[in-house]
Amino acid sequence: MFVPSLDVELVTKMKIGIDVGGTHTDAVVMRGLDILATHKALTSSDVKQGIVEALDTVMSIANLDAADISAVMIGTTHFTNAVIERKELSETAVIRACLPTGSGIPPMCDWPEDIANSLGNHFYMIKGGHTFDGREIHGLNDKEIYTVLDDLITKGIESIAIASAFSPINNSHELHIAQLARAKIPSANITLSHEIGRLGILERENAALLNSALGGLAQNVVSNMKAALIERKIKCPFYVSQNDGTLMSADFIARYPALTFASGPTNSLRGAAVLSKLDNAIVVDIGGTTSDVGVLANGFPRESNSFIDVGGVRTNFRMPDIMAIGLGGGSLVSQDGKLVGPSSVGHRLVKEGLVFGGSKLTATDIIVASGHQQIGDAGHVSELAESLVKAASATMHRMIDEAIDKMRPSDEPVPVILVGGGSILVTEKLNTASEVYCPEHAGVANAIGAAIAQVGGEIESIVSYSKVKREKAIQSATQAARDKAVKAGADEQSLRVLDIEETPMSYMDDNAIRLRIKVVGDLKQVKYS
Amino acid sequence: MKEICAEDIKDLCAGAAFLATGGGGDPYVSQLIAERLLTRYGPAKLMPLDQVPDDFHVVSIGMVGAPTVTLEQLPTEDEAVKAFDAYQTLTGKKIDAVIPFEVGGGNSTIPLTVAAMRNVPCIDGDGMGRALPEAQMMTFPIYGVHPTPAVLRDAWGNQAILYCNDAETFERHVRAMAVTMGGMITSAEHGMTGKQARTAAIPQTISFATALGKLLRAHDGIIDAIEGDIVELFKATDYGIVRRLYTGKVVDNERKIVGGYDVGSATIQSFDANVAPMTLLIKNEYLIAKVGEKVVATVPDLICIVEQETSLPLNAERMRYGQRVTVFGIGCTHHYQTDKALKVTSPRAFGFDLDYVPLAELERAQ
Repeated sequence: MFVPSLDVELVTKMKIGIDVGGTHTDAVVMRGLDILATHKALTSSDVKQGIVEALDTVMSIANLDAADISAVMIGTTHFTNAVIERKELSETAVIRACLPTGSGIPPMCDWPEDIANSLGNHFYMIKGGHTFDGREIHGLNDKEIYTVLDDLITKGIESIAIASAFSPINNSHELHIAQLARAKIPSANITLSHEIGRLGILERENAALLNSALGGLAQNVVSNMKAALIERKIKCPFYVSQNDGTLMSADFIARYPALTFASGPTNSLRGAAVLSKLDNAIVVDIGGTTSDVGVLANGFPRESNSFIDVGGVRTNFRMPDIMAIGLGGGSLVSQDGKLVGPSSVGHRLVKEGLVFGGSKLTATDIIVASGHQQIGDAGHVSELAESLVKAASATMHRMIDEAIDKMRPSDEPVPVILVGGGSILVTEKLNTASEVYCPEHAGVANAIGAAIAQVGGEIESIVSYSKVKREKAIQSATQAARDKAVKAGADEQSLRVLDIEETPMSYMDDNAIRLRIKVVGDLKQVKYS
Repeated sequence: MKEICAEDIKDLCAGAAFLATGGGGDPYVSQLIAERLLTRYGPAKLMPLDQVPDDFHVVSIGMVGAPTVTLEQLPTEDEAVKAFDAYQTLTGKKIDAVIPFEVGGGNSTIPLTVAAMRNVPCIDGDGMGRALPEAQMMTFPIYGVHPTPAVLRDAWGNQAILYCNDAETFERHVRAMAVTMGGMITSAEHGMTGKQARTAAIPQTISFATALGKLLRAHDGIIDAIEGDIVELFKATDYGIVRRLYTGKVVDNERKIVGGYDVGSATIQSFDANVAPMTLLIKNEYLIAKVGEKVVATVPDLICIVEQETSLPLNAERMRYGQRVTVFGIGCTHHYQTDKALKVTSPRAFGFDLDYVPLAELERAQ
């Protein structure tokens, strides 16, 4: 993992957080936890122009010069959305070294058909990989590899994912295949599964495939981000937030775009925690089409335990535990008000909603009809039956209550933080909530989350528990990870262990373990007098 | 006759993962391969145990090894069916039906794939009613079925045939072969007559696991909401009692592959700071659960763990730091309450200095 090195001195200055979402681009200027300027605009199809505009607006509001800025943090949903929408994905092949094992479950066999087709359904299983005790399942056969590579050349495929059985324990087969591939196809964009995932070959292989498929887009997005900063003469470090809430450098993201999956929800939850000053709460982010319900536990998103689907593809990234329900400001409402969503007019609300002179009955129309909001022309909804308005409003509140109930840690009522443009839908008491907070600046929670994104430290080492006691080994590795994070600019007090992973490597030594420990913490805040 | 088709497999695998008490291999892998094979070869016939004719030739088939291996070393398409064929060739006798070793985990689906591919019924029952790590712990040998001859196959097509004097020796040999043959093998073993199977097997476990899995999957939310339904479902069966033992967060998990098993321990910390942590002792399966120093459940009773928020079962090899889980204790079926059965399945059989005390009695003692 990349650990940004930050000059702590620089942190005394301003930070800019920009969140480029599918619909909106948000930007904030922050000093410490103070918000000095915010901006929200529709996301421009031109990445560079969108960032330049966001920079210009917040810098002028806060009256900043380029030299005042210590860091720019960008959160982006480009890569998640590209996978979900099956857009801008390069045709990608996977080479899995596993035979003779594994023939029963070929690569991509559990993928939704449409995304498998977008990547072209190119998969190759060859002899190779390792067993749990480090022997080769089969030796690699260069001739077999060249046959695959020749086929790729014939098909013109340059985006490649390489996976071999037990590569987190022994990566030599992946490295060898990559070496031959680079020699044959010098321009190839290659992802090795052991660099991006952990034990569990199916999920690791999927993550590598998506990462390679996003390679072209990643180059493009990152160079546009860079160009935007150069155009505004901003020379400070620039980071992109990844899914665990830590930062990575721009060059790193160009190679590992998949690590940004679900960074949006992480940023939104972290931003909500800062805005509400609540460490334990449920966050309901209501957008135009869906509501995302997440959980803040001690100021951090509760992570999902299960495998994370990205556009229907199973990966082993750890991500915030988010429950999405089909309710948003643009959700369509049935004639009896008993059904709201999941169909939505989305961003076409401003054209198709009744209050905007359209012909579709949406959730927003209901709230205007109930007199809680004045949006558009209330005259267009004055004839809606009161029973319909009441029923639809009850349906929406019930949907949100049900989602909160599923996510809350116990049956006790919980504080609920509402963020997102659709939070106007909540007009009545929520039965599951002890209190409802609608913090100021909630509309730019994602950008705030990006601006306060954390610094991580990760240590990976091979230890023998026969030689060093396990508790001791974990303790010293944790300390090393903490040191690394502090050196990278983390506040020591805020550091916590995010993950401990132990992988037995019994072939090397009796009781040899690959130990991976990851700690994260906040960027060190320097107080102002 | 009842059938299990590709569409039933997700439910069966979720239920079997619950009954696997932490072992049984990655349920997703067995789900994928079973769905693929049942889609290709059609549904598997499921024969109720009490309808198996006396003179049927029944063979048990499944996988043996360390579950962690299945995360990386995915199965071949034909390992199991080749073991089936080789067993027929070896004994010169047609196999009339197959039966799982254990309803827990991946071994619940393997006999179904063989049944579909070779057009023989799979018996609705198994030899454990859960998952357990060793061969002599199956009800088949406990009720006098001889484990061998056994045919072992690996992914490379290597084959070994074992003849052993007793179940303990068989276990030792089959385990050594599993390690030698790459960590995970298929075994066809415990040939028996239909009459023997009717006494020695635990009935209806495949259909029960499917119903249980359907409940868990349909819910997909906080486990608390369906705890009552789970209790009701088990109450109607030989398992009987279900108790919530603990809810908390995984704070530690140490395992390693020793002699072909995943062996280790895990610690779960309650959200209530006043409650002592729970320790789980693991050998492929969760065997003993303690809160502080107090034993709250032991093998052969079932210790089942689900993720708190999704209600989905959690395998020992998928357990990670930070996961929020609920731990259940469930009574074993009557097959395991005899002295003969307890001799091979009580905590002492695993080397712990501890007698088996049924869940209900442990509870009364508190």
